[in-house]
Amino acid sequence: MTRSKGKRLATVMMPQSSTHDETSSEPGLNRQIQSRIGDQLRAMYDDLMQQPVPDRFAELLGRLDQRGPDRKS
Amino acid sequence: MTPDASFRDALLAAVPSLRAFAISLSGNVDRADDLVQDTLVRAIANAHRFEPGTNLNAWLFTILRNLFHSEYRKRRREVEDPDGAYAEQLTSQPEQGARLDFEDFRSALATLPSEQREALLLVGASGFSYEETAAICGCAVGTVKSRVNRARSRLSGLLHLDAAEDIGPDRITRAALQAAG
Repeated sequence: MTRSKGKRLATVMMPQSSTHDETSSEPGLNRQIQSRIGDQLRAMYDDLMQQPVPDRFAELLGRLDQRGPDRKS
Repeated sequence: MTPDASFRDALLAAVPSLRAFAISLSGNVDRADDLVQDTLVRAIANAHRFEPGTNLNAWLFTILRNLFHSEYRKRRREVEDPDGAYAEQLTSQPEQGARLDFEDFRSALATLPSEQREALLLVGASGFSYEETAAICGCAVGTVKSRVNRARSRLSGLLHLDAAEDIGPDRITRAALQAAG
């Protein structure tokens, strides 16, 4: 009883665009919102990809390569 | 087997995408660089386990993702942190040594549970399929899909994408900057 009342209340309070609940397996967001999130995500990621890579990684790989964990000749 | 030069070059070529993933996942550049370094060390040590012709990036992302989670669990044990205050401080620490933009988006991303964040990053930014992402995360494809959907719903709420159609987050940021300055 109280449960269904709470559920009704929640439904009333939910904005029209998100009547799907969070656990819904089908996309609950419209395409426009999804693509905006996608755009921002990729923009952030592209920015990170553009950053110069610290030298330590090339140095590390050079060092490991020279030593070789178990070099067989 | 000694990793040959082409394997090493392939690892080096993967560094920018590993870094972007690690920074987005951990929210901290220094920690991300340590994760990438540990990933490379493991990849070299386990080079003989990599099957040539299979997806090297997926293999590397799997290593990095597992390191992230085991480190996270270890930190949680070391630091008594019932309220998540330490974790929060980690993600909100000022970044050093790298310029990071997209603050609104990044801080919204940081509030997601890490399983949702990694699923969204792998599918939405790193370019992996749902199937590859499921393999990387060691879960079912359906689980990946529902995590991505939940991540999107939550972000759209946090970034107010579902409310104001014509006031984008960029304008909100600009307005906030103007008000602050």
